[in-house]
Amino acid sequence: MTLDQMGPQKIAAELSEMPPASAISLQMSVDNYLDVIRGVLDLFANKKGMDTIYVTATISSEAIKRVLQALDIDTSRIYFVDCISHIMMGASAAQQDDHTTLVESPTMLENLMLKVEYLIRRSQSKDKLVVIDSINSLAIHNNNWILSEFLHILVSGLRSREAFTIILSVEEHSTPEINNMVNLVCDHGIRAGKEG
Amino acid sequence: MPLKTGERDRCATGLEGLDTILYGGIPRSNTVLLTGSCGTGKTSLALEFLIHGAQKGENSLFVSVTENSEKLLANIIPYKFFDKSLIKSGRLVFVDLPIMYERLGMTKAELSMEEIDLLVAAISDLVTELGTKRLVIDSITSVCYKLKTSEKIRDFILKLGKSLSDLNCTTILVGEVSAESTSYSSFGVEEAIADGIVLMANMERRGDLLRTLQVIKMRGTMHSRAKYVLDLTPMGVLLVPLLKGGSTA
Ligand SMILES: Nc1ncnc2c1ncn2[C@@H]1O[C@H](COP(=O)(O)OP(=O)(O)OP(=O)(O)O)[C@@H](O)[C@H]1O
Ligand SMILES: [Mg+2]
Repeated sequence: MTLDQMGPQKIAAELSEMPPASAISLQMSVDNYLDVIRGVLDLFANKKGMDTIYVTATISSEAIKRVLQALDIDTSRIYFVDCISHIMMGASAAQQDDHTTLVESPTMLENLMLKVEYLIRRSQSKDKLVVIDSINSLAIHNNNWILSEFLHILVSGLRSREAFTIILSVEEHSTPEINNMVNLVCDHGIRAGKEG
Repeated sequence: MPLKTGERDRCATGLEGLDTILYGGIPRSNTVLLTGSCGTGKTSLALEFLIHGAQKGENSLFVSVTENSEKLLANIIPYKFFDKSLIKSGRLVFVDLPIMYERLGMTKAELSMEEIDLLVAAISDLVTELGTKRLVIDSITSVCYKLKTSEKIRDFILKLGKSLSDLNCTTILVGEVSAESTSYSSFGVEEAIADGIVLMANMERRGDLLRTLQVIKMRGTMHSRAKYVLDLTPMGVLLVPLLKGGSTA
């Protein structure tokens, strides 16, 4: 085990090596979330001119937007599917906008897929990226059976639409079952955390 | 007409998920019952079927029974692909059945056997005249209320289906059932006569309400029998398989 966590440049460089329409498992540690965000959203997606669909089940899209602003990252091509604000803060449909779609709860995995599908179809961009933040958060609300079925359908659907998929996991919160589940649907893995 | 062996010609609905479920689309000239309880998306789905048809140059006809078509058009989902010019050019036509009843002098609450023949002939004439390739009747249940007996309903749907099929017109009959119903149609006969049944429903799972779609039968093709979850969006209806892992949890 080393304590060398991957920096944003290294993360973006590794992602750029991947063929189009890849599904990537990106393992991070609790304290390099910001590096991962910068590497994935700014140095990789924004730089390549991709539309990004960011599915959050961890922290609210509002909070992530504030983080991105603080990091001075352009959010004009980032679209959020927020699965947490409604159950956590009672956010209502009225708080949705062109860049934010709410899913009532992280248990509504079908609706989550439908919102991603909608944004993919609506996007005019040639290259599209879908980020799932994170598999561990989804695992709090769903059993492994349904989560694994969800991952299969989601990833194969995105692959057929030639979208790039990144599934984030947090090493401190992961279990061998969850890691297996993710590895089964992903083509490549990047370990950006401490266990890299 | 010589019968081709093997694959029947398809009417690709243009609803991507549904065409996948149907291995390419509705076998052309089938009469399909699109059934479900209120608010499940029947009208929207049927309308989208016609819009996609009209866009491909297939003349499409919406026969509105319950709502007047002006009101219906005012409430339509703002589809990104819908262009009012389809209506102006006559590719997509709306007809209100109550107006047809009036013109045909069918003012009584119950239609006679002769009037049924007259109604079938009137609809078929309209389809012939407009060169209609896709037809929706929304809803057939409302028409059935004017027929009252199962004999008359059977007679009407059989004759209508036969006549439309001879005209090579692919038809969606919208059916209304109550949410608790175990049958696919209000009168129990529509479902037996139709070539296909597509069931739309609301489903509760662990406190979440989902909209679902399932193809129960479709003559002339293989199809998935699985339940799908749907979303009505400005990009059209979107479908994903219902996840099984959690359905009992
Ligand atoms: N213009 C619109 N914009 C957004 N959503 C809409 C719009 N029109 C309809 N919907 C959604 O679609 C749902 C069902 O609409 P639709 O009329 O297609 O169902 P239906 O099964 O035909 O209902 P009914 O039994 O009342 O005839 C509505 O409850 C609403 O949630
Ligand atoms: Mg309706």
